[in-house]
Amino acid sequence: MGGMSRPDIRQLQPEAPPAPDYEPDLAAQLVLVSRGDHRAFELVYGELAGPVYGVVRQVLRDPAQSEEVAQEVLLEIWRTASRYDPDRGSPAAWALTIAHRRAVDRVRSENACSRREQKAAEPEPAEDDVAETVAATLEYQRVRRCMGGLTELQRESIKLAYYSGYSYPQVAKLLGVALGTVKTRIRDGLIRMRDCMEVTW
Amino acid sequence: MKAVRDDLHVLTGSYALDAVSDAEREEFERHLQFCPTCDAEVRGLRETAARLALACAVNPPARMEQHVLAATYRTRQLPPLPASRPRRVSRVPRRIPHVPRRLAVLAAAASVAAAVALGITQLTAQQQLDRAQATAIARVVTAPDAHVDTARAAGGSVTVVTSLALHEAVVSTSGMASLPSSRVYQVWVMSPSGARSAGLIHGSSLLASAVRPGDQIGITVEPAGGTARPTTTPVAVVPV
Repeated sequence: MGGMSRPDIRQLQPEAPPAPDYEPDLAAQLVLVSRGDHRAFELVYGELAGPVYGVVRQVLRDPAQSEEVAQEVLLEIWRTASRYDPDRGSPAAWALTIAHRRAVDRVRSENACSRREQKAAEPEPAEDDVAETVAATLEYQRVRRCMGGLTELQRESIKLAYYSGYSYPQVAKLLGVALGTVKTRIRDGLIRMRDCMEVTW
Repeated sequence: MKAVRDDLHVLTGSYALDAVSDAEREEFERHLQFCPTCDAEVRGLRETAARLALACAVNPPARMEQHVLAATYRTRQLPPLPASRPRRVSRVPRRIPHVPRRLAVLAAAASVAAAVALGITQLTAQQQLDRAQATAIARVVTAPDAHVDTARAAGGSVTVVTSLALHEAVVSTSGMASLPSSRVYQVWVMSPSGARSAGLIHGSSLLASAVRPGDQIGITVEPAGGTARPTTTPVAVVPV
């Protein structure tokens, strides 16, 4: 069942380029972007296009559709840069929240016309796109290590919710557990991830 | 089925992963306003979710960058929310404006206001944005240090009202030769370090930001959709 296949984080080459640094600078660049600075936007694009495209593609799978949605998200970053509030989170979290939500919205609107099952049943495209090298080994290693510290149920719940874009009732159904259990496991698992990755905010 | 209040707090994780329905999201966001603990937790979990995204970063197809950058030249940006903290604007000493200049500013303001009003009635879908733009434009033309410059351009004229204190300039044109659909007038903020696009002229006024003393406003004819750098000789150059 393609739609229910276990979402996995893309396997990385050990010699892949190192993770880009998410400098605090990104916040300053966003201020310039909010004032219409196209050059600053190019820098922001350079930092965020990879993660944005990556997460959208993780959820949607279809490369063409992912490209379309990722473009919308990046343009949204340009359009709404003035709404980024540094007190409420990092620029990456702000941008990737927009990206993930867009991808999930797309999945859900497609579900409404029951097209997703067909999409999911289509074979995965051959990975012949040499340009698509994974850009974030360091972050990947960290996430992988911390995922390893979760219980099976926490890990599966988080993967199905985040990487496959399922709602928690769908996750509950897929895993055959109660709604309340899934909500709790997602929260507990994420808190454990947060502490393991030493996320401070 | 009743929504239990205690249940809401547990939703922080599902909310941070977008695993809730739209209705639940709305309810939870209302709850967040009254629950600082939940709000703080959501922030941390959202940062955590961002790490999950960073872990699967993939270089997008190269063509995407050109598409997105080109689209920014056609896309108007949202103004900041009124509630958000104001961005700091460096104040320059106010000069006492000469009376004739004040009159010129007011005249320019009136024509700008008319142009903006037209823009609003034409673009109903963008009403809100235009209104915000109109507010921004009004702020510039009524700024104490606003000054106005005009120049002939393409059979018509261009009027630039600048407030150096706000670092903004309002560019409005009238009577300029109409262009074929494959061409547009594009406005540039020109400084010694190069030209930066301030947008395309779509019949009404346009706001140029990050304008500094010594900059010039230039207008060129460019292919539809605009370009990243000017490719033709300006039809008008106005010092600010």
